[in-house]
Amino acid sequence: MLIQLSGIERTYTVGTEKVHALRGVDLSIDAGEWVAIIGQSGSGKSTLMNVIGCLDTPTRGTYFLNGKDVARMDDDSLADVRNREIGFVFQNFQLLPRETALANVELPLVYRGVKAAVRHARAQEALVKVGLADRVHHRPNELSGGQRQRVAIARALAGEPSLLLADEPTGNLDSATGEEIIKLFTQLHEQGHTIVLVTHEPKLAARCPRAVRLSDGLVVADGPGKEVALISVAA
Amino acid sequence: MNARIDILEGSRIALKSLRAHRLRTLLTTVGIGIGVATLLAILGITQGLDTSFAKQLESLGSSTLYIQKSPWVQMGNWWEFRNRKDLTWAHAEGVRRLSTYATAVAPMVSRNEEVKFHDLSMAAVEISGTTSDYLQVTGFEITRGRFFGESDDDSRSTVAVLGMDVVDTLFPHSDPIGAPIRIGDRVYTVVGTLSRKGKILDESQDEIVLIPFHTHQSQFGAQRSIAIGVSVATPDALDAAEDQLVGIMRRLRQTPPDKPDDFAINRPEQLASTYNQLTGALFGVAVGIGFITLLVGGIGIMNIMLVSVRERTREIGVRRALGARKRTIVVQFVLEAMTVSAVGGALGTALGLGGAKLVSLVTPLAATVKPGTVFFGVGFAALVGLVFGIWPAFRAAQLDPVEALRHE
Ligand SMILES: Nc1ncnc2c1ncn2[C@@H]1O[C@H](COP(=O)(O)OP(=O)(O)OP(=O)(O)O)[C@@H](O)[C@H]1O
Ligand SMILES: [Mg+2]
Repeated sequence: MLIQLSGIERTYTVGTEKVHALRGVDLSIDAGEWVAIIGQSGSGKSTLMNVIGCLDTPTRGTYFLNGKDVARMDDDSLADVRNREIGFVFQNFQLLPRETALANVELPLVYRGVKAAVRHARAQEALVKVGLADRVHHRPNELSGGQRQRVAIARALAGEPSLLLADEPTGNLDSATGEEIIKLFTQLHEQGHTIVLVTHEPKLAARCPRAVRLSDGLVVADGPGKEVALISVAA
Repeated sequence: MNARIDILEGSRIALKSLRAHRLRTLLTTVGIGIGVATLLAILGITQGLDTSFAKQLESLGSSTLYIQKSPWVQMGNWWEFRNRKDLTWAHAEGVRRLSTYATAVAPMVSRNEEVKFHDLSMAAVEISGTTSDYLQVTGFEITRGRFFGESDDDSRSTVAVLGMDVVDTLFPHSDPIGAPIRIGDRVYTVVGTLSRKGKILDESQDEIVLIPFHTHQSQFGAQRSIAIGVSVATPDALDAAEDQLVGIMRRLRQTPPDKPDDFAINRPEQLASTYNQLTGALFGVAVGIGFITLLVGGIGIMNIMLVSVRERTREIGVRRALGARKRTIVVQFVLEAMTVSAVGGALGTALGLGGAKLVSLVTPLAATVKPGTVFFGVGFAALVGLVFGIWPAFRAAQLDPVEALRHE
């Protein structure tokens, strides 16, 4: 079991009010799975992603990642876990604007202390994998949206993490470009990568082997992508 | 992750960010630069002052002592000094006879008088009565004519040796040697002129007329206390000579053993310490101003760093998501602050050295800057960057990664 979440709660305090973003999520994901997380806006999808990605710590509950109890780790250890185990892909790419594609992709390796020569080679390799061999020295503002997201995916792959986490990766792209990105994820899944993908598009979720539906901070459906996504169409 | 990588990556980011904001960097550095420039210029000028003053003091005689009624730097009851027994010619004679260290002993007695030649005059000139040992004690030389000797003193001759300021004023176009000048109600014949000494602490040493000691006493009376200038072979002998002189003087003046000395032995280096107290205070004020400028510059750095952290909130979120520890973020921003300041320090150092150089060109002060001062300038500026950059850097590291990533 790669991910084991049980009784995960995340409560935000806004002024005197408490906002329950997650109310007790139980979820297990095996290595090699491709899981879509769907649900209405505000249902807690991003919150769950941040907890899984160790960017956020749950208010209550236990979380084992690769057998390690992450909920009890200090800030430095969490940074190291993010660096080694997680590859993030964000809706708005989150590339560093002043750095080239190559430098952006190298970043996780920089923080891992990998030597420059090795870093260059591995980043180059990752860029080739996402089909950007000819854009290595371009800066983000010299790239199209789809190309930027490919750079972001290459950056997530460069560190060879156990888990790829993508929060609405096609949200800022037109449908044709979005389709290319999804094809890329399909390939990565076939190569054995574990992928957790947040989306609000039922069609996209239907293509994933497994989908999890969140509603108001709880898991309300978990099963093959087609079924879970279909319920959403019916609802 | 180790510290070496933090620093390497931090410096790379710092340089990149500074290059991306050239104008902003330049403006920020101005504050620090002016602070460092002020400090360096002050240091340079003070160092220069010290050396030029040391040179001036040397012209007073570095191996000379002056036995007088009261000390130059007075502490305590001035009337106690006034009521002391006068020093006399006999004391000078006694010192000459008994001191084994003295190479020259010159009695000196002075008063200010008007000096006239034809229709030219000079008011309040120091008229000193002395002997030919005066030259060795004070370091003056005879440039024209001769000095007066023992026979002039014995016969109370009215002969005079002129300092260069007096020559300049009374003899702008003519040769003073042999000329009759009027001092008070008597006429003196000029027999020689002294070398030029210049100023010490802004007071000219050349506004002087020397006449034989006993001629002075016969004209102005013998009731005033004299000074006895004593020169010794080398500066090293000063302490031993002073000890011996104390003994000789106490014996000559029959000071009871239980009483303190009723005379003072003055040394030019005492002037140096007074001078140091004076310039020390000035220096302190100037350094204070420099530090305030640096403080203002430092606050400028802090301000720009807070802006930089704000602008780059998303970047901080990205770096944290990819595995940067808090410490890594702190190092990154502190290095950025230090780099901006160091650039300011370098500019300020250039400016400060230029300023000191300018001072030494347009004024007689020799502003010298030691090479180490340059490193001090840059290093000190970097330190200011560290101090004022650390708080913004901690704020950056404390940001919540999720919030930072969501920042617009
Ligand atoms: N920092 C925060 N402070 C307070 N409340 C928050 C915070 N972040 C999220 N929430 C609340 O938690 C709930 C879940 O938010 P989340 O962002 O996880 O939803 P989502 O499913 O990702 O929505 P969307 O599809 O719109 O992205 C929402 O009600 C939201 O208002
Ligand atoms: Mg969301």
